[in-house]
Amino acid sequence: MAVAGDAEAGALQPLRLMIRMLKAGAIILVALIGFLAAREQARADEDRSAILGSLCGPGLHAPMQGAGQIMAGLPTASSADLNWAEVVVQAFSLRTLRCAPAGTGYIATPAGMIDAVTLKPAPTAPDDLRSPFPNLRMRVLLDRLTAAIAVLNAPHPEARLAAVSTLAEHSDLIPPGLAEAALKRTQNASVAAALRGLIVLQRLQSPDVSQRVAAIQTLSQDTTSRTENQLESLRADPAYAADPQVAAALDQGIAHVRFWVRAGAVLSLLYNGISAGSVLFMSAIGLSIIFGLMGVINLAQGELLMIGAYVTYTVQQVIRIIAPAYLSLYPIAAIPVVFIVTALLGIVIEWTVIRHLYRRPLMTLLATWGISLLLINLVRVSFGTQNLEFITPPYLTGGVAVVGDFFITWNHLAAIFFAVAAFIGTLALLRLTSIGLFIRGVTQNRDMAGCIGISTRRIDMLAFGLGAGLAGLGGLALSPIYNVNPTMGTEFIIDSFMVVVLGGVGSLIGTAIAALGIGLVNVGIEPFYGAVAAKVIALLLIIVLIQWRPEGLIAARGRR
Amino acid sequence: MMAASERGAAATAGLIALLLILVPLAGLHLAGPVGLSVYAVNVVGQVMCFALLAMSVDLMWGGAGILSLGHGLFFALGGYIAAMHLLRTAFATTHVLPDFLQFMGQSAFPGYWHLFDSLPFTLAAILLIPGLIAFVFGFVSFRSRVNGVYFAIITQALTYTAMLLMFRNDTGFGGNNGMTGFHGIAGLPIGGANAAVLLTVLSTIAVLLTLIGGRVLLATRFGRMLAAIRDDEPRLRFLGYDTLWLKLAAWCLSAMVAAVAGALYVPQVGIINPSLLDPSVSLEIAVWVAVGGRGGFYGAIIGAVLVNMVKFWLSAAAPSLWPFVLSLLVLLVVLALPNGLTDLRNRSRSWMTDLGRGFREAGRGRPERGAG
Amino acid sequence: MPLITRRSVLTGVAATLAAPAIIRPGWAADTVKIGCLFSSSGTMANLEGRLNYITKMAADEVNASGGLLGRQVEVVVTNPNSDWPTYAQMGRQLLQEQKVAALFGCWTSVSRKSVLPVVEENDGLLFYPLHFEGEENSKNVVYLNSPPASSVLPAVDYLMSGDGVSAKRFFMVGTDYVWPRTINKILKGYWTAKGFTSSSWHEEYVPFGFSNFQSIVNEIRTFTSQTGGQPIVVLTVVGSSIADFLRECINQGVKPTDIPVLGLDMVEADLEGLDTTSLVGNLNCWAYLQNAPGPRNQAFLANWAAYVKSSNAPYNPHVAIDPMVSTYDGVHIWAEAVKKAGSFDVPAVRSAFGGLQFPDPSGYTLSMTSENNYVARGVFIGSVNAQQGFDVLWQSPGTPKPVPYSPYG
Repeated sequence: MAVAGDAEAGALQPLRLMIRMLKAGAIILVALIGFLAAREQARADEDRSAILGSLCGPGLHAPMQGAGQIMAGLPTASSADLNWAEVVVQAFSLRTLRCAPAGTGYIATPAGMIDAVTLKPAPTAPDDLRSPFPNLRMRVLLDRLTAAIAVLNAPHPEARLAAVSTLAEHSDLIPPGLAEAALKRTQNASVAAALRGLIVLQRLQSPDVSQRVAAIQTLSQDTTSRTENQLESLRADPAYAADPQVAAALDQGIAHVRFWVRAGAVLSLLYNGISAGSVLFMSAIGLSIIFGLMGVINLAQGELLMIGAYVTYTVQQVIRIIAPAYLSLYPIAAIPVVFIVTALLGIVIEWTVIRHLYRRPLMTLLATWGISLLLINLVRVSFGTQNLEFITPPYLTGGVAVVGDFFITWNHLAAIFFAVAAFIGTLALLRLTSIGLFIRGVTQNRDMAGCIGISTRRIDMLAFGLGAGLAGLGGLALSPIYNVNPTMGTEFIIDSFMVVVLGGVGSLIGTAIAALGIGLVNVGIEPFYGAVAAKVIALLLIIVLIQWRPEGLIAARGRR
Repeated sequence: MMAASERGAAATAGLIALLLILVPLAGLHLAGPVGLSVYAVNVVGQVMCFALLAMSVDLMWGGAGILSLGHGLFFALGGYIAAMHLLRTAFATTHVLPDFLQFMGQSAFPGYWHLFDSLPFTLAAILLIPGLIAFVFGFVSFRSRVNGVYFAIITQALTYTAMLLMFRNDTGFGGNNGMTGFHGIAGLPIGGANAAVLLTVLSTIAVLLTLIGGRVLLATRFGRMLAAIRDDEPRLRFLGYDTLWLKLAAWCLSAMVAAVAGALYVPQVGIINPSLLDPSVSLEIAVWVAVGGRGGFYGAIIGAVLVNMVKFWLSAAAPSLWPFVLSLLVLLVVLALPNGLTDLRNRSRSWMTDLGRGFREAGRGRPERGAG
Repeated sequence: MPLITRRSVLTGVAATLAAPAIIRPGWAADTVKIGCLFSSSGTMANLEGRLNYITKMAADEVNASGGLLGRQVEVVVTNPNSDWPTYAQMGRQLLQEQKVAALFGCWTSVSRKSVLPVVEENDGLLFYPLHFEGEENSKNVVYLNSPPASSVLPAVDYLMSGDGVSAKRFFMVGTDYVWPRTINKILKGYWTAKGFTSSSWHEEYVPFGFSNFQSIVNEIRTFTSQTGGQPIVVLTVVGSSIADFLRECINQGVKPTDIPVLGLDMVEADLEGLDTTSLVGNLNCWAYLQNAPGPRNQAFLANWAAYVKSSNAPYNPHVAIDPMVSTYDGVHIWAEAVKKAGSFDVPAVRSAFGGLQFPDPSGYTLSMTSENNYVARGVFIGSVNAQQGFDVLWQSPGTPKPVPYSPYG
């Protein structure tokens, strides 16, 4: 061929070779990377398959081992692995995991079946696969796993904080490195602080004395009786407490925790007592007004409370149908409805029965008992005898731990606030409005009040309505706490009388004091002798007190 | 009062007639369809006990104007004491400890149970123990001048407290298991025909004796002073009488009668249970007296018999109807017939004459004899 | 005039009212009556009321397959109003007046013990469908459901084993009456036999219908945090108290993973209306669970749902509980015994029990021996799930022989 072209071609030859080699190399590199990635994936898939195989294994130990494998792999897991673990753990808990042989499986999601290893849709999944059953031990592991994954992977800081406190309860079972890995994956300051605390806690059993002391001090910040017991058992271990520094730290920690636990116990007692007192108050406040005004012991008061609860239920059902988005607001929407309905019912009762029994209190007592029977049975026939299903709105569920073991539940707190609001509202009504003035006037001296032109008939009616409405509101406040059924009123009625009689007829403040007192006495005795004995002692005390001071704590002013 | 005593004699005669009819009928129950069945004899016996119980409440309410809504307590006390005796006699035959002692972990009767082996002691206890409790409670209450609605409510609280106590198994009287498993009474097997007849006859005789005795008592000076207490107690006090002991005596007597009623009732139903101490039971007793008409005792008997017969009948025929019937009955009696059925003739006469003004009168409420 | 007083007239009226009791006939020529003692009002109404309907459904099935000895079965329903002495009164009325051939009744042991003297006096037969405390062996009661050896101990054993939670501490909460007291007595004997001492357990009793479990759940939380081993709660409260207790646990954050609750009287109906997601893992133990596998159960559930709709019963058609199935079994067992004996008389029926077998909806074949009136049932341990039901955690391979008297009590 051409010799000169060959010389030129000869000069370019190595360049072309290099480019060709580079191209080849690139292709090889890409292939290698692809191959390695595929192998990684395959290995990851293999790992996942192995874990799945364990989870689906027979008996009880295989699933626990599988869970253990996931837990051990968490500190070094990638995001993809974490996501996979989260999905699989949740599926196992909810029993949506379906096991197939040889380490394969599927997960049933609302969108259809997905493959448990790759998490991709798998429309060809068979129907009759076994769904493994997590027993209690497994559930404990699953709880911890969920918390561990959340601490690494959860989108919201609050979720991560909650997960940290769950893990802190069993700090000795957290795999090493987990907290450190979580630290790297968070930017939130409070989460980071909590994680550092967790790391310190994990060093409770470390051979280094200063680390142990630090761990004990961190642990002592969690002032619950569980911590107290944990520290006590550490102190009782002679090998652990041998070192004087450790022993001193333990003593200090125990003293600190114990103090707060005791404080919490006292507060808990007070809270329970106030809560019981507020319940008594809500059921007695209406009775106090009615008895003070008309000398009528209204045995139907409990049933008016019950009807208040049933009206609340009706409001819930109505809102469920017409405006389901606002369902959790039904207690608030029910307040005016319940008051009006029960007040009207009270007015009807007064107008048809009570007013014909003027100045015949014993007959009135029997009549109101007859009405209470009638109301119970009317409700029973219309709604049935079963307990009503109330949806507890989220703001009334659960509670918060305050100090020591003292735990405030929201529904009881709401009842307390409600009782206080009712107290203030009624007091304001009685002191600041003209109706209130008339009511007080008729209570103190009916005849004179009639003489100066107050229509005692109308006041009777309105006061009975007010008393009934307050009872209805009591039913509303109690519906998240007690069972609502037709006979619920009978539990409250005797206690309501006792509160009214003890507190002094017609005196709202007396009723409040009496309710609080009885609630505290009941709750105070309960831990020693049991609930029933507490009630019996409280009743006997009241009976004795009445003999000694028949007009009650705060005597009614004026002539009756 | 002349008419009253004449009516009283008539009532007594009616009761004797009843007895004369009842005993052979009861005895003839075995002789086929003419006689009462065992079940019916048992029902009559139970109703007689209720009549006795109603009379005890009437002694206080109609006699002294003090309404007690806690007589269920004394009724149950008498019943429990009778039950303890029956359990001891059953043990003597079967040598098997009652269930409620077994599951509380006891292997023998507690010591004080042995006292109830003897019938005389039991009979004395039926009168004395409720009497003592009534004395203590009444003394403290009447001394503090607790009366009227307050007293009624406190008696409710008392029976409620007793119910709570007796429902606890720790108290040792069977808890809500109650006491059952009796074997025999006076040598006759419990639940058998002869025992039913015997108890029914005893109960009827008790009613008769109490009726006669009660009317005699009301006619004495004691009875008149009770009536004075009912009408206006302060006035009686100002006249120099110590009403405390009068009321207390009537109260204790009333409690003892109620206890006897309970002691006769329990062998007839074969079980005693703390639900007798429920406040609503004591309220029902007051309703019986109100329905029949308080004062004079025979209204109490009429009310108790009528209401309980209706209750027995409805509980079998249409059980869900009974509570409605009871509540409507209470309202009817309270609004339209405050003096009960015995006053029906007077009331219907007044309705006839006041037909035109009837509604407005009823609306304002008519004053009636005695306290409310 | 004196003899015809108000008093005697009224007594006459009253006697006339009682007359139906006298002139009521015995067995009509072509029907045979069975009586029900289940309350439809009062604290037990929500649970017992269903059993009236299931009895009628079972009787309808017997009638549809040709009746019994040429007669149709008629169900007489009463309402004892959850008042224990009234059960005795109604029982007496059914046996003496209505002359029923068999009684089906009672839920609480109190009610059964009240009726016991009545059936013994009148030589009647009471078919009792609830699991109970044992310690009883009357020839007049047919014990359709299991005593503690097969209704309590399997679940407690499970929780104490390594497969469970290796429980070493026990908090007992019960309603104050014979069944919880006896169960707890037997359990304490059992634990003592296993080497535990009284420091390992704690007992609390509450009255019927108790609802404010705030303090008790506080105590449970304290008990959980103490050292000494895994604690469990043995719950023997009944009726509406079960839902109240569980609700308080949810509110105070007491989780089954911290302290599992074994609710011995807990049925699907008690979970209605509760959000059970935080209760998943709590256990119960019965002879039947609604999720029991097998075609017989599916057929039974379908029949019950259809029956509820057609008879307008005020209950959830998609909830079935053990006592319902036990009552259903009872009616069929009685029918089988009558056919085998060829008579309705109680002594004949009683002697026909030996060797009787009945395949029931739970999937097991029930059997009776001539030794006593106990029916051998299967055992299920159920675990609460998030759908207000129970998953089958474990079921027994066969039907263990019932043990009337516990060696631990």
